[in-house]
Amino acid sequence: MAPWLIGFSVFFGYPLVMSVYLSFTHYDLLSSPKWIGFANYRYLFEDDPQVGGAVTNTLWIIGVMVPLQVMFAFGVALMLARARHGTGFFRTIFYLPALAPPVAATLAFVYLLNPATGPVNIILKQLGIEGPLWFQSPGWSKPSLVLLGLWGVGNIMIIFLAAILDAPRQLYESAELDGAGPLQRLRWVTLPTISPVILFSVVIGVIAGLQYFTQAYVAANVAAGQASQAGDQTVNNLGYPEGSTLFYPVLLYQHGFKFFNMGYASALSVLLLVVAFTITVLIIRNSRRWVHYAGAVK
Amino acid sequence: MRRVGIGLLATLALCAAAAGATARTSAHAAAKAENITIWVGWSARELKAFKKIVAEYDKKHSDVNVKVVGGINDDKITASIRSGNVPDVVSSFTSANVGSYCKSGAWIDLKPFLSKDKLDVNVFPKTSQYYTQYNGKRCALPLLADVYGLYYNKKMFKAAGLKGPPKTMSLLTAYAKKLTKRGAGGSIKVAGYNPFLGFYAGNAPDLSAYAPLYGAKWISGDGKSQLSKDPAWARLLRWQKNLIDWYGYKKLQKFNAGAVDEFSASHAFEIGKLAMMIDGEWRVAFIKDEHPELDYATAPAPVDDAHPELYGAGYVNGTIIGIPKGVKHKDQAWKLLKYLTFDPHPLALFSNAIRNVPTTKASLNSPEIKPDPRFKTFLKIFANPKSKTSPITAAGNAYGTLIQAFTVKWQAGHAGDLQAGLKKLDKQIDAQLKQAKAGGVP
Amino acid sequence: MSSASVPVAAALVRRRPPSSVRRRRFLLAVADHSLLITASLMFLAPFVFIMLTALMTNSQALSSHLWPSPFRWQNFVDVFHQAPIWRWALNTMIYACLATLGVLLSSIPVAYALSRIKWRGRNFAFGLVLIALMLPPVVSVVPLYVMWAKLHLVGTLAPLIIPNWFGDAFSIFLLRQFFLTIPEEYLDAARVDGCGELRILVTVVLRLAKPAIAAVALFSFLYTFNDFFLPLLYTRENPDWWPLQIGLSEFRSLHQVQWNLTMAATLLVMAPVIIVFFLAQRAFVEGVTLTGVKG
Repeated sequence: MAPWLIGFSVFFGYPLVMSVYLSFTHYDLLSSPKWIGFANYRYLFEDDPQVGGAVTNTLWIIGVMVPLQVMFAFGVALMLARARHGTGFFRTIFYLPALAPPVAATLAFVYLLNPATGPVNIILKQLGIEGPLWFQSPGWSKPSLVLLGLWGVGNIMIIFLAAILDAPRQLYESAELDGAGPLQRLRWVTLPTISPVILFSVVIGVIAGLQYFTQAYVAANVAAGQASQAGDQTVNNLGYPEGSTLFYPVLLYQHGFKFFNMGYASALSVLLLVVAFTITVLIIRNSRRWVHYAGAVK
Repeated sequence: MRRVGIGLLATLALCAAAAGATARTSAHAAAKAENITIWVGWSARELKAFKKIVAEYDKKHSDVNVKVVGGINDDKITASIRSGNVPDVVSSFTSANVGSYCKSGAWIDLKPFLSKDKLDVNVFPKTSQYYTQYNGKRCALPLLADVYGLYYNKKMFKAAGLKGPPKTMSLLTAYAKKLTKRGAGGSIKVAGYNPFLGFYAGNAPDLSAYAPLYGAKWISGDGKSQLSKDPAWARLLRWQKNLIDWYGYKKLQKFNAGAVDEFSASHAFEIGKLAMMIDGEWRVAFIKDEHPELDYATAPAPVDDAHPELYGAGYVNGTIIGIPKGVKHKDQAWKLLKYLTFDPHPLALFSNAIRNVPTTKASLNSPEIKPDPRFKTFLKIFANPKSKTSPITAAGNAYGTLIQAFTVKWQAGHAGDLQAGLKKLDKQIDAQLKQAKAGGVP
Repeated sequence: MSSASVPVAAALVRRRPPSSVRRRRFLLAVADHSLLITASLMFLAPFVFIMLTALMTNSQALSSHLWPSPFRWQNFVDVFHQAPIWRWALNTMIYACLATLGVLLSSIPVAYALSRIKWRGRNFAFGLVLIALMLPPVVSVVPLYVMWAKLHLVGTLAPLIIPNWFGDAFSIFLLRQFFLTIPEEYLDAARVDGCGELRILVTVVLRLAKPAIAAVALFSFLYTFNDFFLPLLYTRENPDWWPLQIGLSEFRSLHQVQWNLTMAATLLVMAPVIIVFFLAQRAFVEGVTLTGVKG
C-alpha cells in the first residue's frame, strides 16, 4: 500500500499543488520562477486571443462527438445484438479500427481525406459531388475529426453489446405481454437497463474530450504540411487551419512546451482542472435521475 | 498462468538486455577523445554535404569526435535547452529567433571567445551581423546566408510569347494569368504564380519574402509595429488577395494539397506545374540535383509598381549557429564553431554543395568557389544595399506567428476590413513585444 | 394408427425445404443484415485504401489513381531503409513491457488491500483512487516535466516508465471491482490454513482473477503502445529514444514526404496490435466488457 501512496502524492498531489503555485509565476525553465501574482490569469481571461477559440473548440468536440459516438456505438451494438449469423465476424470488423493507434489512424485519415488526391474526394467526384476540403477547411476540420472518432467507437460498442445481451429476458417478455411494440420495448426496457453503461460511456467520452490532443496535433501538422509542403517547420502549425483544431490541451501544450511559458501553462491547467471536476460532478449528479442500477425500482 | 509467467519473464529479459546493450555502447564511446555533438537543420542531400565538411575537420583534429544530427528545428532546440540535454553546437534556420535566444541566455554570449581569439565580426556583411545578435549581445554567428529571388520557366515563357522576367508586380500578375492553364471544372493544372501564403518557403505567411519588395517596414524607430501605419503592407496584402481571388481560393487549396513536399524531386516548379516562383537561392542546387534538364532562369523578384527603384533587392536571412547554455566542452565547441564560420575553406565548399550564399568576404572570393550563372543572381541580390531582413525582437519569431494568424484568415476572406484587422494586429504585436521585454507573460 | 402417422408427418415436414424457399430465406437474411454489411464495408474501407496506397509508387499515390499498378511490395522493405523502425519498435517494447510490468506489480497489491483487507481509512483511500481516475493527466503535466527536467531525465524513457511502478488508478479500480466478487469463503479457507495475506493474494486470488489481470495487462500494454502525448513531451528532442508513434509522426518530415511509404509505415505500426488482438481475442473482448459492466 505504501508505494502507491508515495506514488499518489508524488505524481498526483505534488503536481496539483505545484500547478497552482506555478500559475502565479513566470517560469521558463532557464531561470527560477518569478512571482507575478494574477498576471497570468488576467492575460488568460482578458488578453489571450486564442483561449476563447480553444475553449469553444473543446466544448464543441465534447458536445458533438460524445453524443454522436454514444449513439453510433449504441446503434451498431443494437444491430449486432439482433443479427443472427456471423456476429463474431462483424464484431471483429467493427472493433478493428478501435485498435489502430491514434497517430496511425489520424495520418491515414488526413491522407484519405486529402481534397485533391485522397480516395474519398476522388470517389465523390466520380459520383458527381464536389468534395469539401476536409482537413484543409476550418469549417470541415472538426467534422473530419468526428469522422475519425466515429471510426474508432469499437471499444464503446463492445461494452454496449455486452450490456444489451445481458438485459434480463423477463423484462422483455413481460413488456411484450403488456403489448409493447419494438420501439416501446427499446425505450422502456433496453435503454433503462443499459443506462449505467450509457453513463459510463458519456463520462469516459467527456474526460477524453477534455484531453483531446493526439489526433488534433497530428492532423494539424500533417494537413498544414500538405498545404505548405514546406520543408522546415518554422511556422506554428498548431490549430491548422485557422485555429479550428486548436483545442484546449493543444493550447496548453503550445504555451507549455513550445513557448515554454510554464507559468501560463500552469494557469491554463488549473482552469482545466476546475472545469473537468465541475463537469464530472454535474454529470454524475444529473445521472441519478435517469440511471437505473439493477434491482432498483423507479 | 505459467505460460503468461514465462512470457512475462521473456519480455522482461529482452527489455533488460536491450537496456544493457545501449548502456554498454554509450560507456564505450565516452572512453575515447572528447565527444561533441552539433545539431543542424539540414537533412538528406544537404546534410550529407555538411557531414562531409565536418568529417574533414574531425580527421584533422584527433582530440575530438564530432557527431552530426540533422533535421533539427527550433522547437527541438528550445526543448533541449530547457530540459538540459543540450548539444555542444547548435544551428537554426530561423534567424529571427536570435532575439529570444540572446535575451534569455539560451545561447551563450560569444564575445569573450571572439576577443580571446582576436576575431573581428566585420568580416561578415552588415545584414548577417544584424541577425546574429540582439541589443548588442552577440550569441550567434552566421553560417551561410539565404536570399530570395524569382525563378521562372523559360520554356513556358517562350511558348506564351513572353520575354524576360517581370520586373513589377502588375507584370507578374499579368504573366501569371497568361501562363496559367486550367483543367476540368476550372481546376488549376499549371499555375502561373502561386500567391497562397503558406505554400512553399517563398510564401512565408509572415510576409517576410515580400516585405522588401514593397519597401514595407515592420517596426518603427521607437519599437512599435507598423503594419497598419505603413501603407505598403495594405498594398501588398491587397495585391495578394486579388490574385488569389482570380485563381479561386478553394481551387488553390486543392492545387496545394495535390502538390508535393517542397524538398522532394517532384517540386511543382521542377516538374512544370508552376511557371514562376519566389524562392531561396538553395533551389539552384536542388534543381541541378533533381531536374538538370529544366530550362529555367533566375532574376531579382518583381517589386511594387510604386517603387521601381527597389528592383534588385530581396529578402535576406540565413543560418545562425551558436553554443547553447549548459554545454560542458565549451572550448571544443568554440573551435568547431570558429572553423565553420570564419575559415573560407569549409564555407566555400559548403556553399558550392548546397548553393547558399557565403557569409565572409574571404569565402566569397575564394578560388574554391565554383561559379554558376543562375546562382550569381542571388549573390547580386545579397549585395544590394536595399535588401532587408526581418526585425530581431525580444520575443524572437513570435510576432511572425501573430502575423500568420491574421494573413491566413485574410486570404481566406474571413478577416473583414483590412485596416481594422491590421490595427488589431499591431496592438497584439506591441503587447507581445512589451511583455517579452519585461520578461512577463507570453 | 393415427398416433404413429403424426410423428411420421412431423418428420416429413422437418426435411430440407426446397431451394426456392432457401434462396428466399437467404435473401431475407441479407436484407436483414444489409445495414450491418454496409456499415462494415464503411468500417473496412479506410484499411483497404491504406493498403492500396501502401502498394503504389510515390507519383501514383499523389495522382487520382485508386488502384496501384504495379503492386509495389518493395515499399514495405523501403520503409525500414528510410527510417530506424527497428529502433523505434525496440523503444516502444521497452516502454510498454516495463510499464505494464510495473502496473501489474504495483496495482494488484493495492487493489487487494482496498477490497479484501479491512483497515481504517480504506474508504478514504478508495475515494482518492476515484478522484485520481477523473483527473485529466494533462493537468499535472507541467510540474512533472519541471521535476523530470531538474533530474536530467528528459530525453529518456524514464519519465514514462517510472510513474507506472507506483500504481495506476484505472487498473486499481478495475482489479478492486473484480476482487470484490471473489467469494469470501476461499479467502477464509486459506486464512484458516494459516496463510498470511500476501500468500493468500498470490496463491488464491491471482489464480481466480486471471481474466481481470489479463485485461489489465492487455490494456496497459495497448495504452503504452499507442501513447503519443507523454513520449512527445519527454523524447521529442532525442531521436534515439523515439517510440513507434513519435517516429511515425515524424516519418513524414524525416525525408521528403512519400505518402506511399508513410501509409506502408502506418500499416506496419498498426499490425502488431491487430495481430495481438487476433491471438488474444477472447481476453480482449472480456476485458473491455469487464471495464464497462463493472464501471
